[in-house]
Amino acid sequence: MRFALDLIESFRMAIDAIRANKARGALTTLGIIIGIVAVVLTLTAANGLRDTFRQSFSAVGSDVIYVSQMPWIMMDDFFNYRNRPPIDLKQARELESKLQGRAIVNPYLGERRDAKYRSEIMEGVQIIGTTEKQLHMSSAVPATGRFLQPFDVTYKKQVCVIGSEIREALFGSANPLNQMVKLGRTEFRVIGVMEEQGGSFFGDGPNFDRQITIPISSFVKAYGGRHGRLNVDLAVKAPSSESMEMVEYMVIGEMRNIRKLRPTEDDDFAINKLDTLIDTFNNMMGVVLLVGLLVTSISLFVGGVGVMNIMFVSVTERTREIGLRKAVGARRSSILFQFLFESAFICLLGGLIGILLSAALTAVINATLMPASVSVLILVIAVVVSLTVGVVAGFVPAYRGARLDPIEALRYE
Amino acid sequence: MAVIPEIKETTLSLNAIDKTYDMGVEQVHALRGVSLDICRNEYIAIMGASGSGKSTLMNIIGCLDSPSAGAYYLEGENVAAMSENQLSEIRNRQIGFVFQTFNLIARASIFHNVELPMIYGGIPRGERRRYAEEAITRVGLNDRIKHKPNELSGGQRQRVAIARALVFNPSIILADEPTGNLDSRTGGEIMGILDELHAAGQTIILVTHEEEIAQHASRVIRLKDGEVESDLRVDDTDACIAPSESLHLVGGATS
Ligand SMILES: Nc1ncnc2c1ncn2[C@@H]1O[C@H](COP(=O)(O)OP(=O)(O)O)[C@@H](O)[C@H]1O
Ligand SMILES: [Mg+2]
Repeated sequence: MRFALDLIESFRMAIDAIRANKARGALTTLGIIIGIVAVVLTLTAANGLRDTFRQSFSAVGSDVIYVSQMPWIMMDDFFNYRNRPPIDLKQARELESKLQGRAIVNPYLGERRDAKYRSEIMEGVQIIGTTEKQLHMSSAVPATGRFLQPFDVTYKKQVCVIGSEIREALFGSANPLNQMVKLGRTEFRVIGVMEEQGGSFFGDGPNFDRQITIPISSFVKAYGGRHGRLNVDLAVKAPSSESMEMVEYMVIGEMRNIRKLRPTEDDDFAINKLDTLIDTFNNMMGVVLLVGLLVTSISLFVGGVGVMNIMFVSVTERTREIGLRKAVGARRSSILFQFLFESAFICLLGGLIGILLSAALTAVINATLMPASVSVLILVIAVVVSLTVGVVAGFVPAYRGARLDPIEALRYE
Repeated sequence: MAVIPEIKETTLSLNAIDKTYDMGVEQVHALRGVSLDICRNEYIAIMGASGSGKSTLMNIIGCLDSPSAGAYYLEGENVAAMSENQLSEIRNRQIGFVFQTFNLIARASIFHNVELPMIYGGIPRGERRRYAEEAITRVGLNDRIKHKPNELSGGQRQRVAIARALVFNPSIILADEPTGNLDSRTGGEIMGILDELHAAGQTIILVTHEEEIAQHASRVIRLKDGEVESDLRVDDTDACIAPSESLHLVGGATS
């Protein structure tokens, strides 16, 4: 009962104090507002990045190793990689036969071409030449029609499987199956449409919805002559995620053999894994969180100091009132609680303004940069953070007020 | 033990109270060996020159301050042994303070000012309303219940302060120069209210340096340099012979 009454009295006091000093309160909360905006935006951005990342790579198997001339993420100078000999189809077949029964090897090639269906054109579409084994490499399956079959590859069939965005752009609501699309100068018959996979994480990175898959043999025939030597990428699927490490080890060994590297020479090919991307992503996330944390703590610190200052003023201004309250029976804890409440209340107001502001900014980010939304958890965190700042910043002033000697307080002018 | 003719309950008992302020180089003796027994329903005026220790004595009686030496029993309980929270509770339930400068909370309504002690006493809303309205009616301000202190005259403000002091039905009302900031006519009105409270059974101790005001009381204690100079009963109706009086020699208590 006493505590409940303290609460009501504290609330009344806080409202009175804030109402009496609107401008001052508003200025003090500025730091808190900025701090809370920083908290909310950091967490929202981190969430958005993570979601986008997950979505983009949901189709990439975590048990697949990619062997390429270049690493996906270059740690070194680009030119050091460019001089490496490319991986050709012969090497691809060699690796496949060496790993026979131990892992599935699927070669693929990529080029960008304009895709055309009647009057509809989509420019610079990623064309992938690969085999039916692609189905083992990711969770993506056709939504309608079928995927490539061995005989499509063997007989260099002019057929293609399109991504969901391609279908929309070229065909709209029409049925694309068995329609002819022109990819560059060659016509292909649509035999399937892949399920929607979600957008791309990196602006220009793999986007399964915006790509067209054709048999690798047809790819070589249609586009192989143009740049001279082909540069094949190999996807190697381990039988299980546990055997990933062993398969990677085998792949490196076989590739070194196939490419006739001497023991002293470094690998002249790159092993790429989803793990590598996850590492990079985690680094990015780390930077976002670190910067966010820095901005957040600086502004909350500044805001907290401001609130502490205001609370000292508030306690001093009400010295006589504190004396009076003590004379009529307020305990130290009641006084302490009243000022802590006021401080927390000011910070909560700042926090709420901050949340509204962040919601508006998030809407802008959502419309421009990436999908982002403020989650309930983030709101709870923001509220808890602002209350905590209020309690921490208010403690010393409140404690000082609570410890005031009632007689001296009553005599204070 | 002596035969005691009529025993009235002792409300409070001070025994050889000293209060010393350590001012670094020198010590200020605000009170020296003050012993007093005060019974229920006494009406006491404390007089003395400025600096004679009147306020210090009031603060000690009101448990706002603690003596440097000596014993203080309030309603039979040793105040020195009490914890900070117990002292708060005593101030809350047993003591009603009336100050020279009113000390009302400016932002709060009359009603809220008067209910404040009951809030700290944990009294539920309904009862608070009833008691506060009762107290405000007793000081004749029932038509001003929603006003703010700055909408009232000085005399009215002091009446609010009295309502706040009596709302919890305390053992003692302590009024330190309650008419000090008021003109003599308004001061007379305030004294009228205190007289009524006394008539209704309230124990009152007031500090004043006006003889005219002191005449309202039935016992006048004069302090000089922190000592009881004289302790006189103006009329004997409230006189008490406290049980404790026979246990220690009281310098001031004469009858
Ligand atoms: N907090 C204090 N510190 C030092 N001296 C004090 C303090 N309070 C009171 N005194 C001294 O104690 C004496 C009694 O003061 P007080 O009780 O206020 O007198 P009165 O109310 O009779 O005018 C005075 O000499 C005063 O200066
Ligand atoms: Mg005084």
